[in-house]
Amino acid sequence: MQSWRWKSLWLALLASWLLVLLGVFPLLRLAVPTRPRAGVPQGWPHWLDAELLQSFAKPGELLEDGPQPPQALRGGSCNWGACFDTSKCRGGGLKVFVYPAAGPVSETHRRILASIEGSRYHTLSAAEACLLLLLSPDTPTGECDPVPPQWDGGRNHLVLSLHPAPCPRTFQLGQAMVAGASPTVDTFRPGFDVALPLLPEAHPLRGGVPGQLRQHSPRPGVALLALAEDRGRWHVAGTDFSACPWDGRCEQDRGPKQTHPGATLPNATFCLIPGRSPDALHFLQALQAGCIPVLLSPRWQLPFSEVIDWTKAAIVADERLPLQVLTALQEMPLTRVLALRQQTQFLWDAYFSSVEKVIHTTLEIIQDRIFGASAHPSLLWNSPPGAILALPTFSPSPSDFPFYHLQQGSRPLGRFSALIWGGAPGQPPLKLIQAVAGSQHCAQILVLWSSEKPPPTRWPKTAVPLTVIDGHRKVSDRFFPYSAISTDAILSLDAHSSLSTSEVDFAFVVWQSFPERMVGFLTWSHFWDEARGGWGYTAKRTNEFSMVLTSAAFYHRYYHTLFTHSLPKALRTLADEAPTCVDVLMNFLVASVTKLPPIKVPYGMWHQEARPPPLEPGGPGLTQEPQPAAHNCINQMAAGFGHMPLVSSRLRLDPVLFKDPVSVLRKKYRSLEKP
Amino acid sequence: MEWVIPPPCSPPTAPTCPLEEASLNGSGIQQRRATGPTTWMSMMRRRTPVHELHVMVDEVYMLSVFEESVEYHSVLSLERLPDPQRTHVMWATSKDFGMSGLRFGTLYTENQDVATAVSSLCRYHGLSGLLQYQMAQLLRDRDWINQVYLPENRARLKAAHVYVSGELRALGIPFVSRGAGFFIWVDLRKECEEEALWVIMCASVKYNIRGPALIPRMKTKHRIYYITLFSIVLLGLIATGVFQFWPHSIESSSDWSVQKRSIRDVPVVRLPADSPVPERGDLSCRMHTCFDVYRCGFNPKNKIKVYIYSLKKYVDDAGVPVSSTISQEYNELLTAVSDSDYYTEDITRACLFIPSIDLLNQNALRVKETAQALAQLSRWDRGTNHLLFNMLPGGPPDYNTALDVPRDRALLAGGGFSTWTYRQGYDVSIPVYSPLSAEVELPEKGPGPRRYFLLSSQMALHPEYREELAALQARHGEAALVLDKCTNLSEGIPAARKRCHKHQVFDYPQVLQEATFCVVLRGARLGQAVLSDVLRAGCVPVIIADSYILPFSEVLDWKRASVAVPEEKMSDVYSILQSIPQRQIEEMQRQARWFWEAYFQSIKAIALATLQIINDRIYPYAAISYEDWNDPPSVKWGSVSNPLFLPLIPPQSQGFTAIVLTYDRVESLFRVITEVSKVPSLSKLLVVWNNQNKNPPEDSLWPKIRVPLKVVRTAENKLSNRFFPYDEIETEAVLAIDDDIIMLTSDELQFGYEVWREFPDRLVGYPGRLHLWDHEMNKWKYESEWTNEVSMVLTGAAFYHKYFNYLYTYKMPGDIKNWVDAHMNCEDIAMNFLVANVTGKAVIKVTPRKKFKCPECTAIDGLSLDQTHMVERSECINKFASVFGTMPLKVVEHRADPVLYKDDFPEKLKSFPNIGSL
Repeated sequence: MQSWRWKSLWLALLASWLLVLLGVFPLLRLAVPTRPRAGVPQGWPHWLDAELLQSFAKPGELLEDGPQPPQALRGGSCNWGACFDTSKCRGGGLKVFVYPAAGPVSETHRRILASIEGSRYHTLSAAEACLLLLLSPDTPTGECDPVPPQWDGGRNHLVLSLHPAPCPRTFQLGQAMVAGASPTVDTFRPGFDVALPLLPEAHPLRGGVPGQLRQHSPRPGVALLALAEDRGRWHVAGTDFSACPWDGRCEQDRGPKQTHPGATLPNATFCLIPGRSPDALHFLQALQAGCIPVLLSPRWQLPFSEVIDWTKAAIVADERLPLQVLTALQEMPLTRVLALRQQTQFLWDAYFSSVEKVIHTTLEIIQDRIFGASAHPSLLWNSPPGAILALPTFSPSPSDFPFYHLQQGSRPLGRFSALIWGGAPGQPPLKLIQAVAGSQHCAQILVLWSSEKPPPTRWPKTAVPLTVIDGHRKVSDRFFPYSAISTDAILSLDAHSSLSTSEVDFAFVVWQSFPERMVGFLTWSHFWDEARGGWGYTAKRTNEFSMVLTSAAFYHRYYHTLFTHSLPKALRTLADEAPTCVDVLMNFLVASVTKLPPIKVPYGMWHQEARPPPLEPGGPGLTQEPQPAAHNCINQMAAGFGHMPLVSSRLRLDPVLFKDPVSVLRKKYRSLEKP
Repeated sequence: MEWVIPPPCSPPTAPTCPLEEASLNGSGIQQRRATGPTTWMSMMRRRTPVHELHVMVDEVYMLSVFEESVEYHSVLSLERLPDPQRTHVMWATSKDFGMSGLRFGTLYTENQDVATAVSSLCRYHGLSGLLQYQMAQLLRDRDWINQVYLPENRARLKAAHVYVSGELRALGIPFVSRGAGFFIWVDLRKECEEEALWVIMCASVKYNIRGPALIPRMKTKHRIYYITLFSIVLLGLIATGVFQFWPHSIESSSDWSVQKRSIRDVPVVRLPADSPVPERGDLSCRMHTCFDVYRCGFNPKNKIKVYIYSLKKYVDDAGVPVSSTISQEYNELLTAVSDSDYYTEDITRACLFIPSIDLLNQNALRVKETAQALAQLSRWDRGTNHLLFNMLPGGPPDYNTALDVPRDRALLAGGGFSTWTYRQGYDVSIPVYSPLSAEVELPEKGPGPRRYFLLSSQMALHPEYREELAALQARHGEAALVLDKCTNLSEGIPAARKRCHKHQVFDYPQVLQEATFCVVLRGARLGQAVLSDVLRAGCVPVIIADSYILPFSEVLDWKRASVAVPEEKMSDVYSILQSIPQRQIEEMQRQARWFWEAYFQSIKAIALATLQIINDRIYPYAAISYEDWNDPPSVKWGSVSNPLFLPLIPPQSQGFTAIVLTYDRVESLFRVITEVSKVPSLSKLLVVWNNQNKNPPEDSLWPKIRVPLKVVRTAENKLSNRFFPYDEIETEAVLAIDDDIIMLTSDELQFGYEVWREFPDRLVGYPGRLHLWDHEMNKWKYESEWTNEVSMVLTGAAFYHKYFNYLYTYKMPGDIKNWVDAHMNCEDIAMNFLVANVTGKAVIKVTPRKKFKCPECTAIDGLSLDQTHMVERSECINKFASVFGTMPLKVVEHRADPVLYKDDFPEKLKSFPNIGSL
């Protein structure tokens, strides 16, 4: 009893002394005169003698560092300036020669060749080409290519392999550029090589499936995450939270599991894609589905990263922080989600949906490098309709295009040029010229004379300048970008069109609100003809329409450039052969750019009676059924585009007080109301 | 639905030993805590359905059951949970893996509300990245867990349990134990009475001699003894407390914060000759391989934390300094970082470390010794997460393009990288700072023609380049000007500020403002300070340096501000430049000046841009966009970026949700509901009941319609309630309709929806209105007359995208929302402003004008005629225009009608025949 008591007493005393000592220490510290504690800086100090500090370099050092001779080429490493000879590309821009395939080639391969041959870049002579294209064989049976004849150390060559090469290359790449699918970050030479997407085997060659996104904002209750699994499959995690954010391993997941069979598209807001190379395949799927790709430390270069700003469409996150990524995704503001989703769709449609688009984008990137300062600005690459459809040769400034007025804070010019296409014998279309010239917005009238006979020598006197251009009698000439066109808006007319001044005025005011669309008076609508198993179109008056006739329509002059310089030659020839086809073609072109229907404005019915019957058979008749040949035309166009771009509309834009029960004197466009 | 959350922060209140016990809290509390592995099933069946209680099952001992006779059943192993919405299962690693401190656990619930509530807790109890990674690694190794860890753990638990229970049994101490975990509930009441060892413990619970049986009864002698003992301990505690907390307040009041220190006083560090040297830089480094992202952690502000090492003076064995202590620029740089939001004083919380060793100029330092100095930094760790700044790399004769100091994994912010040394996505390319930026005043020069087309101002050029330039000048005469060093300058004039051509002397950098294009050629180094001067002068740099990585090229679009010409093409430079149109040149000049102002102007600008780039890599979801980096402020102002920019026509099958705002006009409301329900594309009807004093009519009284009808009751009678983004809205299209709009036909509404599908980013409405500028009063006026123009539609009947509800509720600028609620008016004008401002597009008015009136009320039109109402609406427009800082509304002259509207065509063949009827 005694001993434990003493022991505990000692213990307690010791403990209390310890405590007292601990308490006294700070007191001692106080008593001793203090010196600044060196270990605890309050930010970076403000030095007393900071003025006396020397500059990091003497002025001479900055201005006169020793002269250095031009750099010699370093073996193995290439960059654009050193390894590509642009002198050959000076004349006509990018001219591409494709090596004919040695030995038997696969069907895909052959069609890729055909698509390049049909494009505006192709040339038949290797000598005049500025870029020589070598297609890697895509079948395991294909022969491993020997060194091509004009190889020259690979200078000005592009080796294009859409799929990882099945056989080892027998020759050194040397100075050749490589366009390969999902190249690893380590071997990729930025600014020289081109990163392609990893395409699935059955990727469509032309046209392609449009993006899957059907609405702008995610549907409520849609899964937040889909995880990439093997063999192109997706695992859609529960409605709100993910079961297994790392590595996509979900064996122990007990939740409702919906693994899609085969390669289907994920239905979720975000798609988690691991960074391993095979997973690059998932990337395109996610883009197509409108599922925002979340890449976890990708080891491969993102496709076309040289020009595409991927931060607008995907999220590159660190795979080591799965939960942080998850939290960040859950808390991402709606505005950002909305923008990312839409961008995925735009990029898919513009650059990835078909093999042809991928190849064109590749060539376009190389052309941009050659153009240097007059290349596509970044805005053109990264906002609809995309760089393939926005040609930099039209203008160096995005604000000249009809698509970017909002982003640029600009607006189209407030006048229009009337372009009258005529070749009919007889009198010049006096009434039409007077009606058009009477518009306060009209800047000039251009007559495109395309008849064997010389144009009449006397033209009516008008308030605006009238110019006669001698055309080449080809129908597609009416969409040539004539330098005489000085305004943004073009009113395209036929000699036998009939319009009134207030119709023109109103249509132009409407066009100013929709400068990227066509605004027309007469309409056609297309339909799927079950009986014929093809597309058809009709000029009958129906409750909807998808085309406007270019015999009386407003559109932006940019479409002339696009029509002449970007359409495949074959399609334009087709239009030349069947004149009605040219209307279809123009409507196809505009619809494939805007993805929207044209706009119809009111057109007085009295024109119809005054109108002479169409002279050419099958010509653009108002109420006549198009001829069978014309049906053929729409199907050929659809095949040429790879899909049906036309979109139907069910509305017409009328003046605000159109046929309202108010005094006619109040109305601005009175004459539109004539019965 | 399963995810990882930290356990709640409150200490475990209920007993955590696995006794069979269920403690009932007071009445009204919905939370129950049931522990124990076996009885919960019966308990749940018995209790939950009756009392609607939530059951939380804590299965924290799930894997620690060592008793073979006991079999563990998780509640989740049931085929079906009795009440899945009220059953929540928790599990954590603390017990089963012996990791109590790591706070890592899971909650399994199917109840959305609980999940949301708990996940928001995660915000404040985020797990460190390090822990996440470790746990992921641990839990993934299932073979090891199942075959090695768990059997061993159970065996040890069992052994310990057998030993302790054996001892207790031998001593005759009663206890309760269970076959899981290591818990033995020991009853020591008997021992407490006799054994004094427990007395302190017992006394600290409560000292009370007349207390219940738990408190010992003692003899008086003992009692005094223990009281003394206790007092001593207590005194000690108090003394500790006083001394610990008191002096601190004195300390902080002293003059610590101002550091008056001199560079000469910095501590000297001697580097032994054999101290370690880091490895050379690893060229394959990327952010996800060489950068330790765990240090950055989760950060609500998405900002990295940067630590700066304190300044030291390094000398070698012989006492010779390794470099000059610090340069003026590096001091500025560190000051800028220290003053920024990134800075932290706490080395343990830092994500990025900046050494105070000045590496800006490689010429001024000794390479090997500097590397040794780096290696001995306290957190060096192979240079991980260290950021080094260098502007002048390399040295004669071959001038490397990256700093020669071995730096292992450290990030390098370097001026003059080439494609061969730059680690894409890891290093940062920075400009070479031009000291002239601070020395000389050079105001911005407006656009317009400049005297020289092409100018070269660099002094030390290779003869080959100089020949080319001379040839250029010979060919183009006056338009090209090649300047050189002045040979006969009088004393006192700094050579850096003058340039000469033959005998003509020019002021530098002022002469740069006279030229349209300025050549920036490679010197010994790729990065040249002249680039900064050229940009500043608004002269477009012509960069002739192959393989040069331009400053901040990761984020800056140099194509917009410069022209790059390959070295081989130098002779063609003139013709290349001439092909650039004048408009583009002006654009580039403006862009060049903007780049200088934003990123080149000062050392501070350079340092902050560098940190921002690294920050964006670490928090990519909060990264700054291309436009923010590249667009000059004037462009940012004028441009509009439409949030619904994708041209897309939503499928008709989606339908729309009608939202009817109502107060108490039940009869009229029911008529509206009946009318609207006839529209084929209607998919849901939402009634916003804005009257708090009255209950909505009973369910049976509502009209029977074919689509779901939902009534939302609001907390306050506010007009903004109409634009709240209710969860019930499932479609993208929303039809806002007043409870008195009964004059719209079903055709008109259906057609309105069709029009919206073609213009999903606009307001599509029926009655249109106009704003006008009143020249007499010099302000805006509201107009509801029959005019030829429209700039607004009333939201008494309008279709729009539901995203605008979100914008209205959460992103409305200024105090507009409050203004609207206070005035009980103009919510529709506010919506028109908002949509027009964010999309830059006009509204679409559909269908002809009709008289909007209802039998029993004086709605919109009736009111609009009222003069005071017009004045109030005008006031709204002026107020909103001032808040937005501009007038965003767009005036148009068109409205939308069906294709065949009023055409000479059989009515019955028209899709929407019933339009425009009064």
